[in-house]
Amino acid sequence: MILKMKLTIFAMLFISTAIFAQDSYTLSGTVASGEDNAPLPGVNVVNVNTSQGALTDFDGNFQLQVSNGDEVQFSYVGFVTQSVTATGQTSVNVLLAVDADQLDEVIVIGYGTRKKSHLTGAISSIDGGEVAAIQANRVDEALAGKLPGVLIQNQNGAPGADPKIQIRAASSINGNSNPLVVVDGYPISGSIATVNPNDIESIEVLKDAASAAIYGSRGANGVILITTKRGKDGTPQFSYNSYFSTSSRYQVDNVNPTSGEWAQTIETNIANGNWDVSEVDPALLQYRINAYRDSPDVVAVEDWLFRNGNSMNHDFSMSGGTEDVNYFASVGYQKTDGIAITQAFERANARLNLDAKLNDRFKTGISFNGFVSDRDIVGHDMRDLLRAYSVHPIYHTAASIAFVQQLDQQAQALGLDPFDNGFRGGSDAPWNNSIYTLEPGDTAQDWHYGRSGNGIGGSGDAGPATKLDNTDAYQKTFFGNINSYLEFNLIDGLDLRTVFGADLRDTQNYFYRGLEFDSRARSTQTALNQSDVKQTSLLSETTLNYAKQFGKHDISAVAGVEFQNIFFKGTALNGSNVPFGEIINFNLLDPADIATTERDETIARNSIFGRVNYAYDNRYLVSVSVRRDGDSRFGENNKYETFPALSLGWNIHNEAFYSSEVLNLLKLRFSIGSLGTTSDLGAYNSLSLLNPQSTLFGNGFLIPSDIANPNLTWQTNTETNYGVDLGFLRSRFRLGVDYYTSDIEDILINQSVSEVLGTTSIRLNSGDVRSSGLEFDLTANLIQNGNFTWSLGANLSTVETEITDLGGLDELPQTIYGQSGRGPVFRNYVGGEIGEMWGLETIGEVEMIHVEDPTRTVGATSGEYYVKDQNGDGVIDRTRTVEDGGDLVKIGQNTPDFYWGLNSQMNYKNFDLSFQLQGSHGAEVFNIDPLYWQSQFGGRLRDSFDANDDGIADHNGEFYARARDQTDAVIQDASFVALRNLTLGYTFNSDLTDKLGLNSLRIYFAGSNLLYLWSSDYTSFNPEGVETTNGGYLGPTTYGVQVGASPIVRSLTFGLNVNF
Amino acid sequence: MKKVYIFLVGSLLITSACTTDLDQVPPNIAASGSLTEFDGVLNAAYFYQHGSATPMAVMGDFRADNALMEEEPYPAFDRFTMDLTAMEDQFFGPFYTALYKSILSANNVIENSEDDTQVGEAKFLRALSYFKLVQVFGDVTVNLSSEPSTTDTAFLARQSAGDVYNDVIIPDLQDAISLLDVEITNGRASQLAARGLLGKVYMHRGNFAGAEGQLAAVLDGAGAAELSLQENFADIFGEANDLNSEIIYATQISSSVVDEYGFSEFWSWSGGLDTKSLEPLDPDLIAAFDASPGDLRREVSIDTMLMASPKFPQSGGPDHDWIELRLGDVILLYAEAMNENGASAEDVLDVLDPIRERAGIAPLDHTVLNTQALVRQAIYDERRLELAFEGQRWFDLVRTGTVNSEMGEEINPNYHVFPIPISEILASGGIITQNPGY
Repeated sequence: MILKMKLTIFAMLFISTAIFAQDSYTLSGTVASGEDNAPLPGVNVVNVNTSQGALTDFDGNFQLQVSNGDEVQFSYVGFVTQSVTATGQTSVNVLLAVDADQLDEVIVIGYGTRKKSHLTGAISSIDGGEVAAIQANRVDEALAGKLPGVLIQNQNGAPGADPKIQIRAASSINGNSNPLVVVDGYPISGSIATVNPNDIESIEVLKDAASAAIYGSRGANGVILITTKRGKDGTPQFSYNSYFSTSSRYQVDNVNPTSGEWAQTIETNIANGNWDVSEVDPALLQYRINAYRDSPDVVAVEDWLFRNGNSMNHDFSMSGGTEDVNYFASVGYQKTDGIAITQAFERANARLNLDAKLNDRFKTGISFNGFVSDRDIVGHDMRDLLRAYSVHPIYHTAASIAFVQQLDQQAQALGLDPFDNGFRGGSDAPWNNSIYTLEPGDTAQDWHYGRSGNGIGGSGDAGPATKLDNTDAYQKTFFGNINSYLEFNLIDGLDLRTVFGADLRDTQNYFYRGLEFDSRARSTQTALNQSDVKQTSLLSETTLNYAKQFGKHDISAVAGVEFQNIFFKGTALNGSNVPFGEIINFNLLDPADIATTERDETIARNSIFGRVNYAYDNRYLVSVSVRRDGDSRFGENNKYETFPALSLGWNIHNEAFYSSEVLNLLKLRFSIGSLGTTSDLGAYNSLSLLNPQSTLFGNGFLIPSDIANPNLTWQTNTETNYGVDLGFLRSRFRLGVDYYTSDIEDILINQSVSEVLGTTSIRLNSGDVRSSGLEFDLTANLIQNGNFTWSLGANLSTVETEITDLGGLDELPQTIYGQSGRGPVFRNYVGGEIGEMWGLETIGEVEMIHVEDPTRTVGATSGEYYVKDQNGDGVIDRTRTVEDGGDLVKIGQNTPDFYWGLNSQMNYKNFDLSFQLQGSHGAEVFNIDPLYWQSQFGGRLRDSFDANDDGIADHNGEFYARARDQTDAVIQDASFVALRNLTLGYTFNSDLTDKLGLNSLRIYFAGSNLLYLWSSDYTSFNPEGVETTNGGYLGPTTYGVQVGASPIVRSLTFGLNVNF
Repeated sequence: MKKVYIFLVGSLLITSACTTDLDQVPPNIAASGSLTEFDGVLNAAYFYQHGSATPMAVMGDFRADNALMEEEPYPAFDRFTMDLTAMEDQFFGPFYTALYKSILSANNVIENSEDDTQVGEAKFLRALSYFKLVQVFGDVTVNLSSEPSTTDTAFLARQSAGDVYNDVIIPDLQDAISLLDVEITNGRASQLAARGLLGKVYMHRGNFAGAEGQLAAVLDGAGAAELSLQENFADIFGEANDLNSEIIYATQISSSVVDEYGFSEFWSWSGGLDTKSLEPLDPDLIAAFDASPGDLRREVSIDTMLMASPKFPQSGGPDHDWIELRLGDVILLYAEAMNENGASAEDVLDVLDPIRERAGIAPLDHTVLNTQALVRQAIYDERRLELAFEGQRWFDLVRTGTVNSEMGEEINPNYHVFPIPISEILASGGIITQNPGY
């Protein structure tokens, strides 16, 4: 390759010398980009006086014959043309400034592309370089904080878990907010994580309705368009990217005390009179304190559960092509061990993009993308693992065995129950069921230490290590997508294109829980579950595309039809009474203990759509589109809906009358469009179906979970967007501002109903939600000189929603959502926001002095708060608001007031430094983790606290209530500021890479979440973690409860990028 | 241009690979409107009864003086305050849900089936469901339709317990008696089950004459239905004895049929297997057995070493049926009805002989227990020992008005019933109301 280039240069030189006169001389030099100092290959270098020219080589070098006084012009697409006069100098280095006016990027829009300057909607764009530079495991991680109006949150730090992506306001009260992901024009089934970050050429996010309306009923959550890399003409380019990283939980200090620490706390508090233990038998008290203090070899539960994780990633790609055939191929492999034990993720992926020009009029191509992944999941509720008390080692030692036996003797001497008591459930258990036969190395179980009444073991469970050792949970996914296109040029400017493809996603879930999990060996607690669901999607799309420029008119149009079928086919086996043993196999179960469920669903959609874009003289811009969708999921009376959109733009800076050097770009945009969503609909939600259930008398038909609704219809989301784009000082500073309002009509609601109806909720189209938001996007090229460049990007977004109508109701039925009912009252009412959290106002925690025995469990608090009787009626009423005569007040809301991102990119000589900050402010969570950790069994209040059990504390006359039962005591501020990424890279000089035969070589260090700030009010591991998987979760109407979220992960990465 | 046409045709043909039919129905699941046979719906009505068994057991014994909870907040069962609402998710909520689902399934059979036996069984299950609901909650919503209105929610308003008895439970049981056979097949509802339940319902209503008639008919018909007392008290209970000759009606439970109730099962509670109460046995019940020396039921019912009940042991645990009505219960109720109707102490106490004989204790002496009040108390005491940990005690105390005297404390009558799930009050927008005191 290097030889070839040298030959080229030599040839140019040769030609030049052959032609020019003797008084000329050779001018040589390098041309680089003024933005990032990178050499620019292929720059046109022309001697204006002789019209002779040359192109810069791969390293930006050129040579050209000039005479004194000749003007040499350097031009390159996207850069300001620059001239140099030959004055006898033999060498010149040129930095070309980026020309914002000229740099008319082509932006991918739905079913086509458009020049950026002709855009009329609200579209955020990010190029693949930015995604690759961050080297995140996943595309969505790289995007966090980069795009205005796009909020990406890690609800769960587990590797392989999808984050929550929300574009602008929630488009649906109930459904998920996942945007539609379209890869190379093909809407894929599944999340954005299906795409390897290294394969990405660019990402566009369609935010406003007019841009997304071409996707009709699928566009309401926004659309993410991903363009993957395709080969370019030329010799093969190879690229190898690799990194290794190590990770840990962000918060290093343990939240919960160990028994030894607790012994000190007890002694201090008794000594200073904060606690009153007068009602505790002194002998028992001393026994317990000694036990806490003396328990040997204690391992903190958090130290056991969390570890250092690590990750490695290799990615190899090649691309290239001839005049007729281009290719891009990549393979990648990633393996991660998460920060919680048993968490792991492994994935191998491959992509091939092939494009062929068959003749002047025919083009065709095929793309394949596939991966296999294996995700190991913490097999048991993290909330339950973390609430175990740190009173013992994970595996018994000789010392801990001696200790528990001694402790048991002491307990019995005090007249307390023997520890073995109550564990007779294990009498026919095939393992050790007495603390007197323990061997070192056996798992240390909570009950070996007694229970809260007779020892320090707390719940009497098997304990977290035994629980986790006897569970296994994983998910394997196989994904493949093949799609092909044929394109035929009918006449100049008119192309017919047809796309046909299919994807298959096979998801296998496995869960096992063994008999030993339960300290009482109840076989009903065992489980062996396995499911396998194949989701197949077939898509056929045929479009006519027209694009033409006539003088000042620039017109493009597209019209098409699209058909899609999605099939779900699968089975789930749920086994119970799993026998104890080494081998775990369905064949060992009694056939009657295996319940089989079958899934067989078909969704059919068909659509017709069209759009016309028109630009006049780069000044006036119009886009009109319409789509009509049919979808089998809706009621028989409402299968079809039409989604129109219109958008307008005005490039004021291109007007003759406009002249401003300072504000060189001034563009106004307006759009209005309508969208739908189907995200929360199952295949047959409009039908009333009798799910089969095996019963002792044979097959049973269960109560339908849906009540038949032939009128189930589309909710339509009408959105208006006002935007302005400003560019200052030759666009060194650019500011985009968008304001939108969104009005959702016939919103699909999961309305809670009385269970007398046989279901907890019914799906209705009723109501209207209005939301609005403001988005700012600022980019600044702060410094641009030869050695140093610095650019900054900043964005900020606000969202407000208001329920304006609920189909005649003032309020949806209130719902308490949370782990085992420990949640706030979620209210959704006209005039309010979606999913407001209501509850009782607390006026202080019930002091420890009132706890009868504060030493009973490790970390105990009273768990009770004084609550305010708002209306003074002498009754605490959790079912009505203060207005309606009850005591409920608004205690929180999970939507942030605003969120922002700040991105910086610096280059100094061979170094590059970038960082990415993300912040979110004003959201709250109902966080019950601290309660589970500290006072799950509540320090029981002494009888004299409320002698007559009337719910009023006798000493001060205040009402009191458990913190977890709908009070504001567990509402916490979930605001955060995160340094998502900090990367320092070094690119080696070309003389070194040339010697190695490489085109470029970069190494980098990166850290994610090196800094993560949260409110002092927040006391768990992850303010972004919100629970959405417990039964009864109804969508955004019940969003904001936190239970057992996996911690924020901090990682350090070393990686390299090689091109050759 | 030919190529263009071929190309166009080709792309259209590819399109036909997709189905364009938007009227999709699942191939493997029946739609509600399409049923012609209702046995599957009836099976579901039986199935849903599972979900009521454990809550019934816990309410029946742990609320009363037979069993105690240990770990907060569960001891709310042993206190008589509004604290008990904390237990709704695990007990009252699933109980409520299960029974109204059983009712909906039964309504579907009653409305649509043309098979008398199916309708009879459905009426029995509907009556049983409402009977349980009324005992637990007092006034309750009545739904007699298989497709209740989702928009007109006025019908959700709770109706008085008396109306529910008179308008639903009693007529349904009377219909069931006339529609069902005497023969008991495979654990399904039968004529005698309906009669026995009606007798029990009449006892709750204070209609002792009606009760005596129905209960006598059960005892008279027992032979024909192959019902008889087990010789050995222990042989009534546990998986191995499911559907034994003494069982008139039991909700059948198998670990192979996963029910919708997701928490510890009734036998875990009485057996002290749930960590919330490892030693559930109330010393008060031990004292009651102490007062009946030589009683063979003691070993079967309580274990004072383990402080739990071995009646439904862990081995074979998940498969224990939940006994709704057995012959021993009917005999005790019959004696009680006779006594209330003024029969002589001798006649009444004779009825109890087989029960006491089986328990290995001497017959009660009518010369000692020579007043109606003394006989009444003797029967109450007998019931407690005979039916301990069968989910009966609390409801017997409330029925007989002996809560305060037996529990030895002054209990606000508000707490004779349990709290309505708060989600019901919220979801109905307040049409369904909470019981006073909660």
